[in-house]
Amino acid sequence: MSGVRRAGPLSLLYAFMDATRWRPSMQETAPRRERPIGLYVLETGGCEGCFMEIESLNGSAFALEQAGFVCVTDPADADWLLLTGAVTRVCAEMVDRVWRAMPPGRCLIAVGACAVDGGPFPAGYATLGGLQALTPVRRSIAGCPPSPEDLLRALQELARG
Amino acid sequence: MRSMGRIIRSGERVALSHYHLDPAQWSEMLTAPGTTLPLISCWADDARAYVLLLEGDCPLLASTIVEDRRYLAPSSRFAGAEWGERVSYDLYGVEAMDARGNGAPALDEGGWTSTWPLSSRPGPAAGGLRPLAGSHLLRPEQTGLSGPLELSFEVLKGKIRDVEVCAGAAHRGLVARLVGKTPEEAMPLVSRVTAGGFVAHPLAFARAVAQARGLVPGPGIRDVWMILLEIERISIHLFDMARTARGVDAELLATHCDHAREAIARACSEQGVSRRLMDMVTCDGFRDGLEIVPLAQAVHAAMQPRLAALEELHRVFAPRLDGVATLDARLAECFAVGGVTGRASARSMDMRRREAGMRLEALRATGSSRGDARAREGLRLAEIRDSLALMERILGSIGLEDDEPAPDRTEEGIGVAEGARGDVWYWVRLKDGRIESLHVRDPGVSLLPVLGAMLRGYAVDRVPAALGSIGLSPAGIAL
Repeated sequence: MSGVRRAGPLSLLYAFMDATRWRPSMQETAPRRERPIGLYVLETGGCEGCFMEIESLNGSAFALEQAGFVCVTDPADADWLLLTGAVTRVCAEMVDRVWRAMPPGRCLIAVGACAVDGGPFPAGYATLGGLQALTPVRRSIAGCPPSPEDLLRALQELARG
Repeated sequence: MRSMGRIIRSGERVALSHYHLDPAQWSEMLTAPGTTLPLISCWADDARAYVLLLEGDCPLLASTIVEDRRYLAPSSRFAGAEWGERVSYDLYGVEAMDARGNGAPALDEGGWTSTWPLSSRPGPAAGGLRPLAGSHLLRPEQTGLSGPLELSFEVLKGKIRDVEVCAGAAHRGLVARLVGKTPEEAMPLVSRVTAGGFVAHPLAFARAVAQARGLVPGPGIRDVWMILLEIERISIHLFDMARTARGVDAELLATHCDHAREAIARACSEQGVSRRLMDMVTCDGFRDGLEIVPLAQAVHAAMQPRLAALEELHRVFAPRLDGVATLDARLAECFAVGGVTGRASARSMDMRRREAGMRLEALRATGSSRGDARAREGLRLAEIRDSLALMERILGSIGLEDDEPAPDRTEEGIGVAEGARGDVWYWVRLKDGRIESLHVRDPGVSLLPVLGAMLRGYAVDRVPAALGSIGLSPAGIAL
């Protein structure tokens, strides 16, 4: 079970070399767009699993930007709102505020079972039971939680319309 | 003059570690001379108020009756009890007398369908969200955390003086959903409390249920649980390290952490289990079909060759973390801060050390106790190395027998699991095979009272980077 140990400063060199060898996990060629689709991610009261998987997708192990997407930190820069979590009643105001801050042409996508209909957290005194309580859910990505590969594949399908 | 532990033991013993105190004994406990036992958690419902303490490394639970919706506040003695008192007021409307703090809502921001929703006499809805106090706010989506948490700050000359936390946005009413279910029915929900504890939460719950039923899991089950917990520890440590690294623009280190974490997820997936080990733990063991030996070997093989590069990169970037979000050792002790954050602040508690069958020789991690982000990151790396060593030891003697006796069946149990982000505790009381009462304590709760001290002197816009190294989960705190 032991691997080759690259100790000392040499391991730093290997770290850089490894970085040059890494290949994105997404092999398909993304359709060319004028600019990437801006994704704003909003967690609304779930286990945070979906949010963390999106964070993984946005990390270095996946080729999110090569696929034509970019995560943004300001809703004003976003094209799509990726909503995770069961939508607590307190978060409804936050969802509305973020949605209004997005520019026209915006799109709302429920990510994970909770975001669609609450999943294991249906409507209760503190939760609305998913996005469907606020608006019809037209676009969603299934899973509990969906893997980064599933997320990327679904985003590309949604982008293709 | 009796010590706190002796006063508690003078009460009526109702379970393995649980003593009922009358109001006079409760008051005596709160004013007992000598050492204050570390508080793990405090909570109350319509009927009783509870404090879960640590005596040595053993839990000690004391409770007293709630009369006229009031009880003498544990926070008059235990500083860390304040959060639990505020939560209990929000959920049950029971009031802690002589409590510390300003009594601001912990969970109820005014958006619920009723006031005191878990009380036998809930009130009408508040009719709108309440604004938080404080001169500066970080909105729930601006904290850089994985979930919504509202932070308000008192700021002087651009620097934070104090922090107030409201976790209502992440509250899902977990306790209300679990009460009345059988433990087996409850397990899928417990497995989804927080992604920072897909193994730790169900494991602590399973241990509590086993104790309530008077059972001791066999050595084979115990070892599988330990291995699952170590795999989760490695994965979550890598996640927290990547987030911390990005907070200080150490992108190369973050990249290596990302790839290592993804390699572990793939190893899990290739072995036929979920990427983050969700739904692996069951009340009486683990999911059917789980082959723990090849899983542990695959994770080990994926992680071991990457450690040296991670350690070297940590050495390169560590100076950027000097002095970031420092937790004083005295505060860590006072508020029983556990996990990496507590241990990096000189608190030695690691609940794995008290587990039957633990291969103690593998747990060697020590590091700086300066309490800052650099100390925490160094410790995370050391613990990853320990986790791999522990998996090797367990695989070398899996199912090793020991002579842990089964407790008496009392329908009540306490379970703990040392998760990646700290000690997760469950207390359950069963009636007719169903959960009659339950309390969950995520390690993030112990961080709330020290957050102000850790962030004091920071500019508000630097808070997300500072929070990254603490590993706070709003979902775990708010439930």
